[in-house]
Amino acid sequence: MKRLLHIYEREPVRIVLGLSLFVAALVTDGLVGDNAALPIYLLALIASGALVFIDAVRGILRLDFLDEKFLMSIASVGAMIIGERAEGVAVMLFYLVGEYFEHRAVRRSRASIKSLMDIRPDTARVLLDGVEYERDAEEVSVGSIIVIRPGERCPIDAVVIEGRAELDTSALTGESLPRTAEAGSEIQSGTVVLDGVLTARTVRLAEESAAARVLELVENAQEHKSREESFITSFSRVYTPIVTVLALLMAILPSAFGWLRPADAVYRALSFLVVSCPCALVISVPMAFFGGIGGAASTGILYKGGNVFSPISRLKAVVFDKTGTLTEAELRVDGIYPEGISEGELSRLTASLEQGSNHPLASALSRLDPSAPPARDIRELSGRGVTGTVGEDSVGVGNAALMRELGVNIPEGPTDGVLVAKNGVYVGRISLTDNIKSEAGEALTALRALGVTRTVILSGDSEGSVRGVAEALGVNEHHSSLLPEDKYRHLEKIISETDGTVAFVGDGINDSPCLARADVGIAMGEIGSDSAIEAADAVIMTDRLTALVRAVKIARRTLAIAKENIVFAIGIKLLVIVLAAFNLVGMWAAVFADVGVAVLAILNSMRALRAPSN
Amino acid sequence: MKFKYTITGIDCPNCAAKLASLMEKLDGVASAGINFLAERLTVESELPEAELLPALTAEAKKFSRGIEIEK
Repeated sequence: MKRLLHIYEREPVRIVLGLSLFVAALVTDGLVGDNAALPIYLLALIASGALVFIDAVRGILRLDFLDEKFLMSIASVGAMIIGERAEGVAVMLFYLVGEYFEHRAVRRSRASIKSLMDIRPDTARVLLDGVEYERDAEEVSVGSIIVIRPGERCPIDAVVIEGRAELDTSALTGESLPRTAEAGSEIQSGTVVLDGVLTARTVRLAEESAAARVLELVENAQEHKSREESFITSFSRVYTPIVTVLALLMAILPSAFGWLRPADAVYRALSFLVVSCPCALVISVPMAFFGGIGGAASTGILYKGGNVFSPISRLKAVVFDKTGTLTEAELRVDGIYPEGISEGELSRLTASLEQGSNHPLASALSRLDPSAPPARDIRELSGRGVTGTVGEDSVGVGNAALMRELGVNIPEGPTDGVLVAKNGVYVGRISLTDNIKSEAGEALTALRALGVTRTVILSGDSEGSVRGVAEALGVNEHHSSLLPEDKYRHLEKIISETDGTVAFVGDGINDSPCLARADVGIAMGEIGSDSAIEAADAVIMTDRLTALVRAVKIARRTLAIAKENIVFAIGIKLLVIVLAAFNLVGMWAAVFADVGVAVLAILNSMRALRAPSN
Repeated sequence: MKFKYTITGIDCPNCAAKLASLMEKLDGVASAGINFLAERLTVESELPEAELLPALTAEAKKFSRGIEIEK
């Protein structure tokens, strides 16, 4: 019995069962007469609609019954009562068919998003005493040695200890060019090893690795509703009661005044009820955002929610952090100017202090003298520099603010790059230049074409280097030598001056307050610091600035699709309502306007999954 | 405590919102949200899971019998 019930619950089974009985009823009706056909009609209605009726009754018992199932039940039973028997059964059957296609469409969209997001392998090859074991990725502890073979996805974030291979990071970053990994490189989970075998030591647990965090972000994104989504929900809340009252009026008034036969008035009111069901509308809009978020994620752009789409599509001003955003994180030393000490000693002191730092300047500076002894008592002073002890000497490496703080006199002349002081005395300067990212100019041109009128650089670096980048890229404004709190103040000012959305784009280091304050905070680069991801509204997984342009385009397209769905669904419904009111179309059209429109809107939404190219 | 479950068999986002608000009225449930498209149920509750899950399932079955909740 229970198994039979299970089989019956399947939509196609109910449809076929109901349809066969319906045909039998129609034949009996034609051959024998309608009295003989009535029981078969009833049987057909019950066979196709029993589950719908049960849910509708449950809704009534909850005193919360203005849903699709209630409306369809009322319509089909009502049609039976006023003598339109064939129509009553047909409405229910048509509804079931529509539901079937609607559920299929939803299932297919879910599946295609899941397959896009299928970037996390469940197992890892763990190397233990020279033997490979296949383990559940979740159970691999930090520091384990794993092996990744050609064609496989890296299951856990790890550092390569042996081997060399080309990597495809596109699933994570949208970046199509392969990257080379060799001993010492970090590889993120989700990356595919193209050729060669890599042996690597895991640096995180699987659940804390890049792929898992990307998935987590995308999943959570579904919970931040966009304005359009909230609009639809509140719309259906006021809409349904209004529609029900209107339907009652339509059933009562025309018959009371003698314009129509009561049965005809009721019939039109029932069609009106069916067409007015809000479900199609309520499903079509979130579906578009669901597709947009999934499609963007497959190109390495992670929106934290559907609520980001609308502001990012109306960008007016973009504020950039410089280093790591407009320019490569790595700088290049282009001049060493010692004062009173040798060039070699200046290089050695600087390299000693910078070895342990992860400031963007540090790697270029520490390469000045790889054999320099590491300094002791290192203190990093945010926005100013580093101090520490090398041998017996106390050394400071940083900008002019640091020198003032240390009470060091700086000679006249340029102060860009880093200044170095030894035991309170200025000993020289090392200048560095930026490598502007190759596609930065292209991205800025594209942003202007998309309607961005104001571009600003906020940087902690010295005036000379910031101006150079601003001029090379045609950025409207730049502010240099800023501490993190200065950046925040400037950003607030820009926001207050701008009529439209202000985005802040940064690589996340020290930028969390700005990322949080901007209308749209965009963290660029790998899925790095937690605070940046927490603060940002969108995370771009590649270093390429052109991804920013794509992010805007995806948002616009997704919003356009969502609006198409709203206009299409409401438009068709209004049309059918008017036609039904004048009896130009029957209840069949009304059912189509409900479930048919939902299916079409879902199919339209799937266009949002395919992200536009640049 | 926050619990996350997979919930399948809901017909539309409207129904999902209704079921979530019914679940919110259950004793010991502070908040409940259902994401229709992601098929995800998020519940905040002080109940132990062994009590919470059956209560949620019972509520869901009362709403529509085709609904399943899984960990």
